[in-house]
Formats: sequence, C-alpha cells, structure tokens
Amino acid sequence: MDWTVIAEYMPLFREAAFLTVRLGLTGIAIAIAVGIACAVVLYYRIPVLKTLVSFYIELSRNTPLLVQLFFIYYGLPKIGISTNPVFCGISGLAFLGGSYMCEAFRSGLEAIPPIQSESAESLGMSRLQVMRYVIFPQALSISVPALMANVIFLMKETSIFSAVSIMDLMFTAKDLIGLYYRTTESLFLLVVFYLIILLPISILGSLLERRLRYAGFGA
Amino acid sequence: MKKRYTAVLAAALALALTLSGCGGNASGGSDNSNASGGSANASGSSQASSSGEGSGAASGKTVYRTLDEIKESGSINIGVFSDKNPFGYVDENGDYQGYDIYFAEQIGKDLGVKINYVSTEAANRVEYLETGKVDIILANFTVTEKRAEQVDFALPYMNVALGVVSPDSRVITDLSELGDGDQVIVISGTTAETYLIENNPEVKLQKYDSYATAKNALENGNGVAWANDNTEVIAFALQNEGYTVGIPTLGSQDTIAPAVSKGNESLLSWINDEIVALGEENFFHAAYEATLMDTYGPDFEETLVVEGGKVTQE
Repeated sequence: MDWTVIAEYMPLFREAAFLTVRLGLTGIAIAIAVGIACAVVLYYRIPVLKTLVSFYIELSRNTPLLVQLFFIYYGLPKIGISTNPVFCGISGLAFLGGSYMCEAFRSGLEAIPPIQSESAESLGMSRLQVMRYVIFPQALSISVPALMANVIFLMKETSIFSAVSIMDLMFTAKDLIGLYYRTTESLFLLVVFYLIILLPISILGSLLERRLRYAGFGA
Repeated sequence: MKKRYTAVLAAALALALTLSGCGGNASGGSDNSNASGGSANASGSSQASSSGEGSGAASGKTVYRTLDEIKESGSINIGVFSDKNPFGYVDENGDYQGYDIYFAEQIGKDLGVKINYVSTEAANRVEYLETGKVDIILANFTVTEKRAEQVDFALPYMNVALGVVSPDSRVITDLSELGDGDQVIVISGTTAETYLIENNPEVKLQKYDSYATAKNALENGNGVAWANDNTEVIAFALQNEGYTVGIPTLGSQDTIAPAVSKGNESLLSWINDEIVALGEENFFHAAYEATLMDTYGPDFEETLVVEGGKVTQE
C-alpha cells in the first residue's frame, strides 16, 4: 500500500463520491415521491391507475438496473429520444427505486387496521384528513426500516453507473486500475469512500427508526 | 442501539485492515494474490508458484503457472476480447473468432492442450495476469512501458497506432477542432485513454468499459468522436456507413504482443520461440488473410502484420 498514491488519488475519489451522492440522492428522492404516489394509488385501488402501477412495479422489480440503464441510454436514442448519462442514471435509479419504495409504503399503509380510518371518518374527518393525520404518519413509521433498507440498496446500485459512462466511485477505481495498475490502493479507496457514504445513512436510519416508532395504537 | 454502531464501526475497521493487510503482503512478495477478487480459478492459484524475487513490478505479487504446469494440467487459459471484431469476438455460433484467436488456436495446438478462453475487458487485462486468472493475454494488447512494468510481453505480432473516427456529418481531422462541449469517446484502460490524458489533457473524455457500449455511444451521438487503436476505428468506419477516420494515426507507432504474468520465463520463451518458428511459415500473413482480409482488404496486410516478431519499420 503506497500512501502517496492514495493521497494522489484522493481528489479524484472525492469528486466521484460527490457525484455518486448527488445522483444517488436525487434518484432516491424521486423514487420516494414515485413510491408514495404509487402506494396511495394501490391503497385506494383507483381503477385503471391501479393496473398501470402494478404493471410498472412488476416491470421495474423484475428487470435488473443494468438492463434498465442500457435501455434508457442505448435503446431510447435509437427511436429518437436522446439522453445524457446523468439523466439516464437518475431516471434509472428512480425507475427501479420507485417500485421498491412503493412496496415499502404499501406494507405500511396496509398494516393500519381499517377500524382506524373508519373511526376517524365517524369523527367527521374527510378522506384526505384521515390520510394526512391518521394513516400516513403511522404507515410512515412502520415502513421506515424497509425504506432505509431501500435507500442503502439504491445507493449501492449506483455502482453500475459505469455502464453509461458516469464517472462514479466504481468507474473511477476501475479506470485508475486500468490506467496505472495500482489495484490495492484503488480498491482500498473504493471501500473507504463507499463506507463514508453509506455508514452515515445506515446510522441515520437507525436513529430515524427509533424516533419514529410511534405507530400502533396501544402497542 | 449503541452496540450496533460499535458493530458497524468494527466491521468497517476490519474491512479496512484486511485490505491494507493485503497491500502489506503484496510488497513482501506473498504467494497469495487472490486478495482483490474472488478466486475464480482455484486450481490455477493452488498450483501457482510465487514469483518471489526478480519481479520489480510495483505490486509485485504475481501468480502464474509455468509451462510445465500448464502442459500437465492439460488446458491453458487465454484472455481474449469477446467484442472486438475482427480481432477477438464471439461469432453467431458462440465460438471465439478473429486474428488473436487464430494465433491462440495455434498456441493450443502446438502446446497440445485444451484452450479455455476467458473474456476480458480492456481495463482488466493486466489484472487477469496478475491474479493468475489467465496464463496468456492475447487481447490486442499494445506494448507500452507502463504495462511492461506489470506484465512480460513476448515478441510482437501486429503493428498499431491510435486513430480517431467520427461521423461524416462532422469529421474531426485534428484534435484542435474539438469545441468546449465536445466529448471524445474512449474505452477505459486502452492506450488511447492514456495517450489523450498525457498528451491532450484538454480533451474531454467520455469513458466506457467495453467496445460494444463505446460503439453504441458513438452511433447515438453521445460523443463527437471515438479514439482507439487505428485498426479498430478503421474497421468500424469500413463496417458502418457514415463514419470517417479523420485522424488515421495519432501518437507513435506501437506493436501488439502476447503478454504473460511478470516473471513467467518458461512460458514467455516458449511463446517467443513459437512466434519465430511460425514466422518461418508466414503464419501471421495467413492469419491476416483468414481473419482480417474481409475487413481491411489487401492494402493493410504489410502495415499491420508483424512476422516472426521482427518489426520492419516502413
């Protein structure tokens, strides 16, 4: 292990880490939004939309992200829709993540016993109010563990962005190995930087889980 | 909860220590080199002998099989490209074909062993030799000083230079024509990438990890041009309508040679003898005619082929 090489590579990895985090978090944020929307559609069994959402979930969960990225980046331009790598990475992550997030939220929503919404409605709350004040906060609380697992999973999935020429951490390491053959140093930095990104997320997840554990009447 | 953080941190520390530990062993010339990746080739590494002294390479932890060990095992692992038509590619029947393969087949025949092709990408060719995943790399491997520090090159069997291909709508004939927003496609781990980083740092590169994706990116217009070995870009322009090689040679003339793990003297000298012997029967001209003629026609035969390991500078 040559520490001067590590010092030399550090800026490259830092830059790649920022890119990884930026693309990852943007993709995940969109995925959460998509997930909530889809989960609500499924929860209320809205006709037509419900079928579309189920179709999307099956499609997105049963194809690898790599295939989705290839489709967006190399496939779409063939039919005249050109994309750039960054857009492709974010949308790929959002497409994949949306379905996982949806299932996480849905499990939360469906865990709330119907008696609660019935009670709330009998108190005169509107459907929206029931969702906003009774169901959603509890559902969120229940789905936090699954949610955080998804966030970490999606963050790690960014490591295949190299396929669409995004210089993320993984590609930077691979590229440096190919250029200068400093394998040990590159792999060491790779592991360290992924840990720097993911450990805080994992710890934040545990904190959130603890703070948000208020769901379940009387539990 | 506190316990959990401690566990997480301990795991992180352990991982970091393991990795740096590998680095430490490496400089000591340890015989266990499979630290970096899973050992896909367990039998290979168990038979492998440590390079010990003599390998001045930076990482100095090469595992390889000697000529006798290869013969004894009855099969040889050769690293080739699977997506670089017409040099190394998989045809519609799933068989490996191309100029490199033609030579590889002859090596297998003369050694009397079965050939086990291992598909490589440009960036991991050195890696595969260092970790003993393959015995020989025959994947259009350009000889460079930097690479020669990590692997041992045999005699050359082909000439090569860099070239740049671009669409007819905007042919790039000089790198100075590139504008601010223009990106040049390169493949990670190729000489084109190294050359541009060192000599034209102002050129913005868009890097891909395989030939197939790089070609696709050029077709989709993600980059304005593609820089690679000129053999490759000439072939691309000949096979695909609407592309011109605007810069046929960039940088110096180089050669392509088989490579073996650093210090694998027995295999290296066998390959060198083989190349010289094959030169007597004009083997590489035959290889050109069998595999490259369709793509390049007769004009490039003398420029490309190196016979018997002797480069005749024109």
